[in-house]
Amino acid sequence: MLLMLLALAIFGVTYLLIITEWINKMLAAMIGGFAIILTGIVSQDVAFHAIDWNVIFFLIGMMLVISVMRQTGLFMYLAIRIAKIAKGRPLMIMILMYLLTTFTSAFMGSVTTIMILVPIVLLIASELKISPVPFIITMVIASNAGGAATMIGDPPNILIGSATDYNFMDFIINLTPPILLVTIASVGLIWLLYHKAMHVSNENRAKLMSYDESMLIKNPFLLKSSIIILAAMLLAFTLQGVLHIETATIAMSAGLLLLVLSDKNKVEQILANDIDWVTIFFFMGLFMIVESLVETGFITIIADNIMKVTHSEPKATSMVILWVSSIFSAVIDNVPFVAAMIPVLEDMGVIIGNPDAMHPLWWSLSLGACLGGNGTMVGASANIVAIGIANRNGFRISFKEYTKIGAFFTFVAILISTGYILLRYY
Amino acid sequence: MFLSNLLDSRAIIHERRILSKEQVYRLLVEKICKHHRLPICGEALTQLILERDQISSTAYASGISIPHIRMENFQDTVIGMAFLQNPLDYDGIKVHWVCLVISDKSSSKLYLNLVAALLKLSKDQDLVSRFKNSDASTVIHEINKLQIRLKQEVTIADIMVTDVVSISPDALLSELSDKFCHRNLSYIPVTDENGRYLGNVNILRLLKVGVPDYLMMLDDISFLRSYEPLEKLFEQEDVLTVGEIMDKEEEYLTPETSIPEAVFEMIQHHKRFFSVVNKDGMLVGVVTAMDIFRKVIKA
Repeated sequence: MLLMLLALAIFGVTYLLIITEWINKMLAAMIGGFAIILTGIVSQDVAFHAIDWNVIFFLIGMMLVISVMRQTGLFMYLAIRIAKIAKGRPLMIMILMYLLTTFTSAFMGSVTTIMILVPIVLLIASELKISPVPFIITMVIASNAGGAATMIGDPPNILIGSATDYNFMDFIINLTPPILLVTIASVGLIWLLYHKAMHVSNENRAKLMSYDESMLIKNPFLLKSSIIILAAMLLAFTLQGVLHIETATIAMSAGLLLLVLSDKNKVEQILANDIDWVTIFFFMGLFMIVESLVETGFITIIADNIMKVTHSEPKATSMVILWVSSIFSAVIDNVPFVAAMIPVLEDMGVIIGNPDAMHPLWWSLSLGACLGGNGTMVGASANIVAIGIANRNGFRISFKEYTKIGAFFTFVAILISTGYILLRYY
Repeated sequence: MFLSNLLDSRAIIHERRILSKEQVYRLLVEKICKHHRLPICGEALTQLILERDQISSTAYASGISIPHIRMENFQDTVIGMAFLQNPLDYDGIKVHWVCLVISDKSSSKLYLNLVAALLKLSKDQDLVSRFKNSDASTVIHEINKLQIRLKQEVTIADIMVTDVVSISPDALLSELSDKFCHRNLSYIPVTDENGRYLGNVNILRLLKVGVPDYLMMLDDISFLRSYEPLEKLFEQEDVLTVGEIMDKEEEYLTPETSIPEAVFEMIQHHKRFFSVVNKDGMLVGVVTAMDIFRKVIKA
């Protein structure tokens, strides 16, 4: 009991530091992770064993893939191509950018997509002499929604995929349909909100049309080979059920192969700078801290109590998980939230007993956590990154301005998810 | 280079006996030749010193004699010292301290510095009498304490430009661009009204005003053919001040910085310019990589 309280105290302080960002979040997670060992709550062996290496190497592998894909210039090419296909009409650009962001995030992750696409949108908006703010906000929403559609799009799904037996195709079958519905609804909302708002002069539109995006493809060999490897990686993911190759091994194989093919002089730089070591160590620390709550029995208490409220009834439980996750994820980073929720759901599985009844619970957690991240501007990493970029370029997006739109889109998305879960699984 | 580092306690003798010049020289030659490999040694060297003495006196009024022998292909400098209780007579000058200097034919600059340093020491009577009444290692220890430099190293103070163009942090960018343009500069230190160093501003900082942050975040901007980034610079010229674009926490050099250190700093920080700031934080000059190249390396 004493150990549990101590573990809870370390957990509480660490999460407080992560949420408030009083110190670097990786530092907070690492200090928390080793504090549970130092205080003897769990042994070093147990703590290290709790680190999910499948997640860690999956993240590293994907970072390698993304880094080489960036070198090809493909994403910038697509973004400019889209603006030209839209003939510089702002509403059309906004809708196509929403779709591109959704699609790219589903396979490349939300944060990377935002980092590549937001600067281009700022450039396009400045050429067209319109405000980039609505573009940035809708792209953030698209990135979090898109990430929810696949196992590899958003960190919460990566955590869930690794902790459970679900493979890549399970995520596609169960999560892509609701995300498609959310996307259709969001495009409709964008039309409603912005179709009358933006006007662009012919002269400015002509400027945009003069962009020569073909200049961006500097290394056609690298582009072709990386598209082939990317396709092979996705194929391997879809065939995971047959191939029995773990997620991390697929991602690392693709990443390492691309690294070998890319510019030799850049390899060192990719390894040192393009792999986000802060995120990697942040995840390691989280795994260790959450393990202390599992070991001391706190997670079981939480699971028991939720089950008491819902009378162990799966339908009610999944609704509680969906809505509570979305609210929590809107106000705190969804990664630490999901890391702590996974063992809670595992315990619930023991209580419920029937494995089939667990499916909607996991999908509810994923949808709630990923889509909930859109609720406020601090809900997910992509939001913080996008708003940071906007700020640095003189476009202040206030908490209120973001939340007005973000919370509205999120509410609609969670309503759609509720309907989807209820209709599909019950 | 410190004088003490050139000395060798094994070549320092203290002599109480009454000896002739020739005997003193012979003792010194013996000591030096025992520990150093010289092209000419033994009696031949003693004769060379005596011949040198014949040409003109090696003694100075302060009571020191500094005979000097240059040798071909020696590429070193060796000093032997004899402290005499019974002085030698050099045409009426009583010499208590004989310093035999053996150097290479080409090292005249070092020799001149050496003579200057030894003469200065010999004028301090208390010091010389302490030398006479102690042992070899104490002599070296005492000289070491005095930290006498032989080659005065060239420092930044010797080569920096002291007639510096500086600018106030409150100046508008239009004033800054005029200065860059008319003075043909690409780097200007920023100081307050009293000349206190605050930072610096370079031409790239000014150009950056015309290039928005988002453009810098793109991996590649080759698709942009007709973008006119400097438009924004013209708009901002009379709005922004130097203080808003300057580098505040910049490295600077001090007037005492040595040339190798300045070169090291320039290479380390990829900077071709450094402000020179004194102990009180005041700007005293600017030094460029070209200054070092022209005045030191090509000199």
